[in-house]
Amino acid sequence: MLVVWCPDWPVTAVGLDAGTPAAVVASARVEACSAAARAAGVRRGQRLRDAQRHCPDLVIRDRDPDAEGRLFETVAAAVSTITPWVEVVRPGVCAIPVRGAARYHGGADRETAEESLRIHVQDTVVERGFDCGVGVADGLFAAELAARTADGGMIVPPGGTAEFLAPYPVTVLGRPELTDLLPRLGVHTLGAFAALPARHVASRFGADEVRAHRLARGLDPRPPAPRPPHADLSVATEFDPPAAAAEQVVFAAKTLAERLHEALAAEALTCVRIGVEVTDAHGRTQSRLWRHDAGAAGRSHGGGSAAAGRSHGDGSAALSALAVAERVRWQLSAWETPPGEEGVGGIVLLRLLPDQLVPDEGHQEALWGRVTLSDRIMRAAARVQAMLGHQAITRPYPAGGRAPGERVVRVPVGDLPPGPAVAEGRWPGRIPDPAPAVVHPDPLPVRVTGADGAPVTVSARCAVSAPPRQIEIDGRVLPVTAWAGPWPARERWWDPARFRRRARFQVVTADGGARLLVVEGGRWYVEADYA
Amino acid sequence: MAIDLLSVEWMFDDGRVSELSSQVTEGFSPLAGMDLVPVLPALRPVIPGGGLRPGTVTGVDGSTTLALALAAGLGDRWCAVVGLPEAYVPAAAAFGGADGGLDPMRVLLVDDPGRRWADVVAALTDGCAMVIVRPPEEPPAPVARRLTTLARRNGCALVTTGPWAGAALRLRVEANHWTGLGDGTGHLRGRRALVTVSGRGAAGPGRRVWLWLPGPDGAVTVAEHEGPARLEAIAG
Repeated sequence: MLVVWCPDWPVTAVGLDAGTPAAVVASARVEACSAAARAAGVRRGQRLRDAQRHCPDLVIRDRDPDAEGRLFETVAAAVSTITPWVEVVRPGVCAIPVRGAARYHGGADRETAEESLRIHVQDTVVERGFDCGVGVADGLFAAELAARTADGGMIVPPGGTAEFLAPYPVTVLGRPELTDLLPRLGVHTLGAFAALPARHVASRFGADEVRAHRLARGLDPRPPAPRPPHADLSVATEFDPPAAAAEQVVFAAKTLAERLHEALAAEALTCVRIGVEVTDAHGRTQSRLWRHDAGAAGRSHGGGSAAAGRSHGDGSAALSALAVAERVRWQLSAWETPPGEEGVGGIVLLRLLPDQLVPDEGHQEALWGRVTLSDRIMRAAARVQAMLGHQAITRPYPAGGRAPGERVVRVPVGDLPPGPAVAEGRWPGRIPDPAPAVVHPDPLPVRVTGADGAPVTVSARCAVSAPPRQIEIDGRVLPVTAWAGPWPARERWWDPARFRRRARFQVVTADGGARLLVVEGGRWYVEADYA
Repeated sequence: MAIDLLSVEWMFDDGRVSELSSQVTEGFSPLAGMDLVPVLPALRPVIPGGGLRPGTVTGVDGSTTLALALAAGLGDRWCAVVGLPEAYVPAAAAFGGADGGLDPMRVLLVDDPGRRWADVVAALTDGCAMVIVRPPEEPPAPVARRLTTLARRNGCALVTTGPWAGAALRLRVEANHWTGLGDGTGHLRGRRALVTVSGRGAAGPGRRVWLWLPGPDGAVTVAEHEGPARLEAIAG
């Protein structure tokens, strides 16, 4: 992973350079300051008044997260001339996968290839007028710290991440509660934290601390997703006529992001990154990856560029629909004036792609399900899912329908139930209670004959040709002792493709068995058994 | 002591140790007889002790309704149904009469556990008060021992609709008499089922009880009258 880090980005974004003693403030506290101001004693988190005492000629600006995002698109665009796989971690920091890019740009020797790529990236960004550090390491977290080292960044050799991280203080993890606690336990550095056994960390702290511990050990914050890639969950909107105003696209992006979140939540998933793909009327496509779950990347730490995600919530959660829309705006605003090209002829397609899906660890069930799942049940269900897959264990939810089989839907444990049940609505043609205990997933073919041995038929007007006298299932012939019907069902008559006309019968046979039969298109089936 | 033996058990994944331990402790264990898995009052005549002892296996033949009825007295406890994709759980929702019945919202379904059915049941015994399972084949003795051991430890009763050699109790529906349905008229309203009990856990071999399964009011109750229903009285 190669990380480009632009120091003091909030300051840069408001149009001040590093030589000016300047600070960006929010609620009368310093959020970021320039190098000159830092030299004068201004620090992040300082009260504005204290900062002014240290540096009387301090230039002060309000923080402008929008400008930060917009301006950083210029940097991301510059980096994307080298490789298209640019991921904007947050304004001020972007990342590219280093292996592929280095192989393309350098010689056979890994080290020189990575170093030449690193210099190349740095030159490209500096050429656009932005100071930056570039670091290379196995993971995002270490690469960002590497980018922040003196002399414009460094390369951490493969496998050397833990060793590189060891001397850093635990505060770089950006988790205030944890980093308050650890020094009191005598754990001051990442190395000491990493030395704690993982299962002890897991048993004493929560999921977030386990992630921090993985970071400290130089691992990815999340273990690899255990599930195979999924059905396409991307969502897209077409604009016809092409959208000329960015506002229109941004508005659509918000709705689209909401749809994407819903689809992900329905699968109990979240994504690490979100890809935004915009196509214009000339058929040019621009795509950009945005980090979606900030918690996995490690929070903002020391130095100037605080996470812009913080302005959209607590900075740890996934991007809200609004935050996604904002990123689309940044992306568009940087694109509207491509250097040396004709103008963008309106946007025709906007697509959002969830990238790197991981199971959502939140328990949304407690909010939605009518019966909350206790931890014990959750654990049992999770064990079954680990064995057989997510869809294998379900809960029955009521649904609307006439036949017993339609009155229930099976929803995998952990997924959201269907919308408000219409189960208790009036369903004409509904079979009266009691409900059968057996509903065949695949109805069994059956032969129904009258006294003369001819198959019983039901006319379009629901007239029965002859009383059923015997049924034959799997070669077994059973005399009918009692029957009733038909209960006609004309389903979805408004939709020719899904229209079905069926009729149902209850039949008791001489062996004491009672069955629910259904006839459709002249064919009879056993739909349910009152066994 | 029982606890230690059970952890040994867990390590070796074999039922014998705890089977011995339970034989040793059964006579004087304060836990014996406690925390039965409750069943509907109507089923008490067929279930000795008025509830199912955790770790026991109850076999049910010839009626999925009866298997679901066993779970209808669980109250707010959970139930799992493994390997019965055709079981329609809401059918038992009113079996308890005024007390409700099997709450479908407290049921976990594993329709197709495949070859790992035993592992699935083992996982579900921790959390569910009852697991209804139809194994694809008769479980080999070590598998059955392991499951009953885990079930006993976790307070879970096993109900099977398939063959199971170690079943303490076997319930069978011998005959059905349906009411409410005529020759082209009416609709099914209730059924009286003759349930027979056998097995080493039964109070007396060959015990027979007529049950409404369910009755015209939707509840499972003991039927006073034997024999065929008086169709004309109820049909309509």
